[in-house]
Amino acid sequence: MKGILAVALGVLTAIGGFLDIGDLVVNSVVGSRFGLTLVWVVVVGVIGICVFAQMSGRVAAASGRATFEIIRERLGARMALANLGASFLINLLTLTAEIGGIALALQLATSIEPTLWMPVAAFAVWLVIWRVKFSIMENVTGLLGLTLVMFAVAVFLLHPNWLDLGAQILQQPSPHSAESPATYWYYAVALFGAAMTPYEVFFFSSGAIEEKWKPKDLAQSRLNVLVGFPLGGVLSIAIAACATIVLLPKGIAVDSLYETALPIAQAAGKIGLIVVILGFVAATFGAALEVTLSSGYTLAQFFGWPWGKYRKPAQAARFHLVMIVSLIVGVGILMTGVDPVEVTEVSVVFSSIALPLTYLPILIVANDPRYMGKLVNGRVTNFFGLVFLAIILVASIAAIPLMIITGAGS
Amino acid sequence: MTRHRTPRRRRLDELAPPPRIAAQELDAQLDLLDRQVLDRDRVQTTTVDDIELTDVADPANPDPARPPELTALLTGPVLGTRIFGGRPPESRFERIPWTDVSEMGTVIRLGVAADSLDATWAERWVRDRIIARIPGGTHDPQ
Repeated sequence: MKGILAVALGVLTAIGGFLDIGDLVVNSVVGSRFGLTLVWVVVVGVIGICVFAQMSGRVAAASGRATFEIIRERLGARMALANLGASFLINLLTLTAEIGGIALALQLATSIEPTLWMPVAAFAVWLVIWRVKFSIMENVTGLLGLTLVMFAVAVFLLHPNWLDLGAQILQQPSPHSAESPATYWYYAVALFGAAMTPYEVFFFSSGAIEEKWKPKDLAQSRLNVLVGFPLGGVLSIAIAACATIVLLPKGIAVDSLYETALPIAQAAGKIGLIVVILGFVAATFGAALEVTLSSGYTLAQFFGWPWGKYRKPAQAARFHLVMIVSLIVGVGILMTGVDPVEVTEVSVVFSSIALPLTYLPILIVANDPRYMGKLVNGRVTNFFGLVFLAIILVASIAAIPLMIITGAGS
Repeated sequence: MTRHRTPRRRRLDELAPPPRIAAQELDAQLDLLDRQVLDRDRVQTTTVDDIELTDVADPANPDPARPPELTALLTGPVLGTRIFGGRPPESRFERIPWTDVSEMGTVIRLGVAADSLDATWAERWVRDRIIARIPGGTHDPQ
């Protein structure tokens, strides 16, 4: 019985922890502009994150080494430093977006200006990282994030024309003549980046070491990933579907989390809204914790400093200092008055640019028996790994030209 | 029916593994540089940013009988000069003496505690001046 509970807990937190501000915003923007025609990107992205999250978890469990240590050993100091620079900056951008997301979610609940919530949110994130145990942190935010299931419920409550919705998935490319093909592909790259954000891999592999995974825990981890992430992807699609049903026909543009939550208000009223706002706070807060930790993980692992939440903060001093400074910088960026939703959109596009930097070294090390012993990649995993590396590379190269052509999707 | 091995066979099984060959080859680029260093309690200490070798009398015509010797692992500012070129001033070298190294594998292990090394002064500085002074900094997370 206890075993079943542990398995269920792992899967549920994986579902609840899958969504972050990037998924919330981009899925609802895409739904409101392109309907369900981009659902295929979410499907591809989820399969990709499953392949690589599972691989990086296995690398961590088999070798006891986290991703960025390996990146440096494999790529050498120079390439790894370039990689660190890019990964760290994009991570900082994602962190800024997540803190902005917490503030937007709290604004929905309280009507208090998000600018006032931002420092509070950042302080709360720091406090949890400073004092709360890793497993508690993961489970609480993951389980509360499950309330976003409300989006899936709302799709049914809205009584859509199912045939119509289904037909949209197959309609290619966008049937909405107002949008140019370049914009369609720009949002395809953004959705892909939102599903596969690089911090998830840093966090997943370092988290495996924090929780002291051994090869025998791999079955549980594989189940969490292979069941939890696809169900998280279903929630992503439900968000897009809600936007398609309610926002698209009325031509409502998504400028904040308010529009993302609008279909819920229509479908399930006040109660639904309360539940989903709780979900927004949990999802963005959980992601903010993961991104903040990732900023510490990447830097500490590159330089070989002591790191990890299982230590006392004083035993991983520079690791904690990096996280404190990152949070302050993130709040500083938000305080300049930038729109958190725009920061989010930019951060997911830049994430897709940086993806190959993270995923290539993992694929290489997962094939190295000196690190992996018997747990090296099988042929099927390598096949999928290579296919996705090709897709990631194309998305990464296309991202900046598309951004310029479309004026960042406007 | 019970099987029993011949005494001769059993002795073979109990033989110790063959001694390591005296001169095990090591590629500094592959097996040393950019490797994680752990101290005797498995605490992360640093990454090998560079290595220090003894001078060769005549670099143009190296004498195979007297090759340079590895004296220390280097860390700190030397990483910047390794990547961008140049050489830090003598006072800025942070050395971990090669004699402190106890084991080499996918990570490099030291036989001493990280805190006893000069090279880890930055970690101690941040700990004592900043992190340990923030309330809760010296407690375990709960």
